[in-house]
Amino acid sequence: MLTFTEEVLLLLGDEEGALLPVDKHAFDCALAGAALLDLAFAYRIDTDLQALVVTDSAPTGMPFLDRILARIASRADTVDAATWIRELSTDDAETVRKQALANLVQRGILERKEEPFLWVFRPVRYPTIDREAVHGIKLRIEEVLSDNIPDPRDVALMSLVDACQILPDLFPDRKLGEAAARIALLRKMDLIGREVAGTIANIQRTIVLAARAEAARFRKLRLILATLGGAAAAVTLLAPRVPLPDSYGPDLLEHLWFDGIWRQWSGYLILGLAVVGLAIAIVIKKRLVTRIARSHRWRLSHFVLGVGCVLVLFAHTGFRVGSDLNAALMGCFLAVLLSGALAEICTGAPSRLRAVGIARPARLRRSLMWLHVMAICPLPALLIVHILTAYRY
Amino acid sequence: MSRRTVWWLVSGTLLASAFVVASMFVSGDRRILPAGAMTDAHHQLEISCETCHGTPDFADTAAAEKALNRSCLGCHEDELKAADDSHPRKTFRNPRMAAYWDRLDARLCTTCHVEHRPEITRVGAVTVAMDFCMACHAEGEQDVRVERPSHAGLTFDSCASSGCHNYHDNRALYEDFLVKHSHGAWLALTPMHALAARARAAGQSGATPLAPGDAVAPASALADPAVLEDWARSGHAAAGINCGACHAPAAGDASPDAVEAHWADTPAMSVCEDCHRTQARTFVRGRHGMRRHPRIAKPRDPHRALRELGLDGVLPETVMVWLEDPAVPERMAAGEARLPMRGDAAHRALDCGTCHMPHAVDVVRAAVEACTYCHDDEHSRAFFDSPHHALWLAERNGLAEPGTGVSCATCHMSKIERRGKIATNHNQNDNLRPNEKMIRTVCLDCHGLAFSLDALADTDLIRRNFSGRPTVHVESIDWAVRRAKAQRQKGGN
Repeated sequence: MLTFTEEVLLLLGDEEGALLPVDKHAFDCALAGAALLDLAFAYRIDTDLQALVVTDSAPTGMPFLDRILARIASRADTVDAATWIRELSTDDAETVRKQALANLVQRGILERKEEPFLWVFRPVRYPTIDREAVHGIKLRIEEVLSDNIPDPRDVALMSLVDACQILPDLFPDRKLGEAAARIALLRKMDLIGREVAGTIANIQRTIVLAARAEAARFRKLRLILATLGGAAAAVTLLAPRVPLPDSYGPDLLEHLWFDGIWRQWSGYLILGLAVVGLAIAIVIKKRLVTRIARSHRWRLSHFVLGVGCVLVLFAHTGFRVGSDLNAALMGCFLAVLLSGALAEICTGAPSRLRAVGIARPARLRRSLMWLHVMAICPLPALLIVHILTAYRY
Repeated sequence: MSRRTVWWLVSGTLLASAFVVASMFVSGDRRILPAGAMTDAHHQLEISCETCHGTPDFADTAAAEKALNRSCLGCHEDELKAADDSHPRKTFRNPRMAAYWDRLDARLCTTCHVEHRPEITRVGAVTVAMDFCMACHAEGEQDVRVERPSHAGLTFDSCASSGCHNYHDNRALYEDFLVKHSHGAWLALTPMHALAARARAAGQSGATPLAPGDAVAPASALADPAVLEDWARSGHAAAGINCGACHAPAAGDASPDAVEAHWADTPAMSVCEDCHRTQARTFVRGRHGMRRHPRIAKPRDPHRALRELGLDGVLPETVMVWLEDPAVPERMAAGEARLPMRGDAAHRALDCGTCHMPHAVDVVRAAVEACTYCHDDEHSRAFFDSPHHALWLAERNGLAEPGTGVSCATCHMSKIERRGKIATNHNQNDNLRPNEKMIRTVCLDCHGLAFSLDALADTDLIRRNFSGRPTVHVESIDWAVRRAKAQRQKGGN
């Protein structure tokens, strides 16, 4: 029989091995709660409203559960289930997840797949092989939601799933609103399940509020940067080139725009900024590094780099668009910068865009993102020719 | 964005890039690569990178600069020698001049003349600010204001723009020359181009002139009587030169059979060059014929390097086309020019026959009408209303002495004397930039130096093709005379 932890993991992953959209903290709490439920149903712990105590410290045979059991047993004071869920979600959730996934792979339910990307990143997915196993778990939850007398184990599982707020994802065709009263009633039947749900809800409330505040702050910063970058790119495209002083003497501007060494440095600086910006975008989009993909700061850095590119581009060209292949390179680069900036403005200020007559900012954003990606495509070829020509001639 | 979309995008980009690269491979035309257009002086060479960039691929900057300078001198060294260059390279290569290298490195042509920089290219293809003289002449023993109080209030951007100085060629501007010619009237008592007069008075070679019936050519070539008439009136017929001399130079003798056996309907330019060597030598130095200059457009020879790598004969043909730099087309068409040209002349490619008419060999037509057949700028159009044109018509109509008329060619293709023989300098750029170069070879034949300097400094007068009097006055003669006088007085005391 599968443990709660394994069942929760199966339900939280889709068939391709990707996670359903669950907040990381909620996910970790669910795993910690699942581990406690496993211990409770194995008669190793008991809990009431005030305390969670060990009733039997004998190992369960599951290393990750025994580790948690040993930790609870070794604690001098007694704390309630909510405290344990918080602590375990912080310290042990990752270990629990890894070991539970390994168990599922060993049982032939999941498959471990490494997908190398750019020779550096090796993201791992766990696609489902045994779909019947997942189907069986879903059936049990559906059974709980019907009017039949539920099994306590299934009630506990349902409480966990409900706490993670993934019931609509699991049963997209079912009207869950009608079952809300029954779900609330069943949740009260299981103490650990109730504690897990309560804790997750509390944590989520706190996290959501903090996350929303942080997201709003970063969205505003991104919007400012995007507006700045977009305006600078538009100026670069439209402004007449900065004239050079027509007198002899050491001239910084002439060095900047006509001296090979200076142009080399400014050119490579733009290239570096652009490559790092692109790499960050890929890492975020492909979720290659979870910590980066979820960080507002890394997302913001993409825009900082974009603005940096426009500024260094000015140092490199002085608003000179060039001719032939250089003009094509400049055009593509400015298209990338402008479309990226405008797409972010569509994301960050949709109401303002509606006010100025753009009825569907989301659709406009999609088009701009298309342009953003398409304009990137010719850049490597144009850059290679640009650099080789500079050195050859 | 789906994987399929990304795949299409990447494939499309690769295909487009491959197309562009392949088109450069096949055609060898790399004009989309440079950072900017070339100067008016060199744009005809744009297709052949190797003409100027003679270093191996990715050579270091110093080697590249040296190679570029070698390329410059390859075409311009003789010209600089003839101009008695005021700032010769050898002066600045002396280590004692090292202090000046950082200010303006006059050892390198590319310090002041950089190609592909249209934005900073000024008059005379100069790419440094026009007050560059101050780099060396604003302080120390080279400070021009120390011994010349007249220069005290002048700015350095006026050195070259006022008609007083040039960086390279000051043959008509140096102080002694100014003083010597300071007393000349605006017009000579007997204005006449001495060399032109001598050339026209020299008459014919003494050979028996040929008539249309003397023409020796295949029957098909004799069918057009107009062609025969043209030839019979030409200098060639007058000098006893028959058809075979141009159409069958390999015939050896003028027998009809030999001429027919070697007959070519369209003789190559080299046939003209065999007899008119001075004209041919000067033609390739000017814009009209520079694509035939011997130093230009030597295609690169990649086979040597490939042999060393063991790859000769291995690479595909298209790659070899890329590696072998394309040769510049031999002739320039009027449509490629950057000066205003007549639209209906755009297709005309420049060789001897373009101006001289192959059979008439008409030097009169070549002196004016041939020019205006293509050139359509204000200066050219204004010629027909100018006093110079009136003089030209008078000479043509026998109303004035030979050498008194002034045609386009009189000024722009002046006569030169070499080993006692007078010929027309077919390098129309020889005395064109800076225009003071024209003073000694042309203007002084008829006009005084002061008038000539003023006239050449008056851009509006040039636009009107010298109809009227100059409204600009170049003070250099006045200053030179005053200074000479002061020195004489000082010496006398």
